[in-house]
Amino acid sequence: MTDVAERQELEQAVPLAALFTAFLAVSLCGIGGGGGVVWARRVAVEKRRWLTDSEFADIVSLCQFMPGPNIVGIAVCVGAKMRGTIGAVAATSGFLVIPWVIGLSVGLLFLEYAHLTVLRNILGGIAATAAGLLIATGIRLLLPHRRRPAALLFAVLAFGLITFAKLPLLAVLFGLVPISIALAGIEKARAR
Amino acid sequence: MSDPSAPLALTTHLALVSSISFGGFPTVLPDVRNFVVGTHGWMTDQDFANIFAMAQSIPGPNMILMMSFVGWKVWGFPGAVASAFATFGPPCTIYFASYRLWDRFRDAPWQQIVRLGLVPVIMGLVIASGTVMARAADASWPAVALTIAAAAIMLGTRLSPLWMLLAGAALGGLGVL
Repeated sequence: MTDVAERQELEQAVPLAALFTAFLAVSLCGIGGGGGVVWARRVAVEKRRWLTDSEFADIVSLCQFMPGPNIVGIAVCVGAKMRGTIGAVAATSGFLVIPWVIGLSVGLLFLEYAHLTVLRNILGGIAATAAGLLIATGIRLLLPHRRRPAALLFAVLAFGLITFAKLPLLAVLFGLVPISIALAGIEKARAR
Repeated sequence: MSDPSAPLALTTHLALVSSISFGGFPTVLPDVRNFVVGTHGWMTDQDFANIFAMAQSIPGPNMILMMSFVGWKVWGFPGAVASAFATFGPPCTIYFASYRLWDRFRDAPWQQIVRLGLVPVIMGLVIASGTVMARAADASWPAVALTIAAAAIMLGTRLSPLWMLLAGAALGGLGVL
């Protein structure tokens, strides 16, 4: 019971402004598809220590299953976890409002200069780095599961079916997840 | 653009597709393209491709921004705002409701089983999207090396990814890649 009370106290202690600025930073730093996961983990897990790696992995998994831009979902869920409804609003507005205004202005400018070679090269370098960061974040979030052979098998299967077999995301998601969950259920039942 | 009901049609359509965009917004992009380029002719294919490339390379909520640019084309600034709300509003409500439900059963045995089964698959997908991005970005061996180096540094150190992105930008700008 004290554990729950302590946890509650910790959750109360996170100011709304901190949620706003944290997700503002996540939003501004995440370039290209998937960058948001890298930065959300960096900020919420490593720097602010609001969540553990496995709590964060839960949220990412939940969001993958829902429709919409998944990164926004991470803001909604982390905000809701820390401060309920108002926390979700704070984190989501931090993620969206200022970056949207900047993005709209930068975007209009960018369309003017999209033909410049130097600009393209710079964006190419950023894209190559961002890809590496995303791979590393996936590996990091998988680490808590490394002692379960079935977990590694399903991670490799999901990876391979997308990367090499080029199956659609939805097919992989709804094909693998039920089998993976069923296996986990059997393992649990045996362990008992 | 001459049709006054255009903004309403676009907003309604975006709200609908964002509610069913399982697996992220890129999965419904082909449908949005058909709607704005094919059905209504609000922009050309080239316009749509340019907006997509731009949305991929600027920071921030890029799919929401991309739809805002589509809205901008149709109805100026109000169109951009309306499209943004239509793109993130319905999913945010769904995220919030489902997180609440998930959190309520935090300690239920079935949820631990779901977690054990679900998380590894999703992380395999995250790593896969990294490699798919790498394939698109790594046109040369130095670029491949850069991707691998960034992953290794991120795994082995606590260095801020910002420094790595800056280094990547510098190497790209100098024409090394």
